[in-house]
Amino acid sequence: MGIYFEDVQEGDEAPVKTHTLTRTDLVRYAGASGDYNPMHHDEVLATKAGQPSVFGHGMFSMGLLGTAITDYVGIGTLTAYKVRFSRQTWPGEELRTKIVVRTKRQEGGAHLVDLDCSLANAEGEVKVVGEATAALPSKG
Amino acid sequence: MADVELTSIIGKAMSKSTVVVERGAVTNFATAVVDSNPVYGDPRAAKAAGLPAIPAPPTFAFVMNSWGQYPELQPDDAPTGNPMGEVLGPLMAKGGLILHGEQEFVYHRPVFVGDVLAGEGTIVDAYTKESKGATMTFVVTETVWRDDKTGEPVVTSRFNVIHRG
Repeated sequence: MGIYFEDVQEGDEAPVKTHTLTRTDLVRYAGASGDYNPMHHDEVLATKAGQPSVFGHGMFSMGLLGTAITDYVGIGTLTAYKVRFSRQTWPGEELRTKIVVRTKRQEGGAHLVDLDCSLANAEGEVKVVGEATAALPSKG
Repeated sequence: MADVELTSIIGKAMSKSTVVVERGAVTNFATAVVDSNPVYGDPRAAKAAGLPAIPAPPTFAFVMNSWGQYPELQPDDAPTGNPMGEVLGPLMAKGGLILHGEQEFVYHRPVFVGDVLAGEGTIVDAYTKESKGATMTFVVTETVWRDDKTGEPVVTSRFNVIHRG
């Protein structure tokens, strides 16, 4: 789990995490987050509101991408993580993470890596895009 | 005119609450964000990974207000108004959609099970933009969560909400 600063190079990509979104994911996230907006679990209301079906919580997308980030940099190393939500996610879509090391830097004794990250479907439609910074352990 | 009212909410207090970070809530949340790492469920796995206790997933900070907000711990000087509602309520009455535009966390240290965190939320920005003939109204709130014992900041959450008219 996790990596050392010396093992990371700019341009490196983290392992891709793929996940096919299900309605059960949406219900589980609603229950775990306390977000019971019916657009995420009530197909009848969602279609009445003009949506093709229920759709995923934006924060589920950020959470899934966060899982792939901590799988790569280790749990407890993040110093910042932000995203912009650009598209809804739909049940049946295969979601894929993309995490690239943009920069490595040392600041005040900390060994920092800045990551560009995004979540997209199999067709490449980007759902969320953002960046994260982690303070990694050093071998030095 | 609308802009004058909009900017008047900048700086206003939004929320003040104290939460206990509960083990069950954290473990359940990790499952919900498709994270099967054992450190989120078992303190022995967390210790083996060099962590002092079960950590919370990075985005748990967004939802921790939903759990562990014990009534007996709540401050008695929590703000009573809802400045975001004052702006977005009338807009919603005319139609349109509320969207979560952006979300940002700054971590001063990880959140752990057992933490008692005191959060204070403030409106830090409010503005409009025209986009494809529709008015987009943006409201940004910032919540700073501090360790209730030490007063040290733990995580800062910036929440950007958009009303698309």
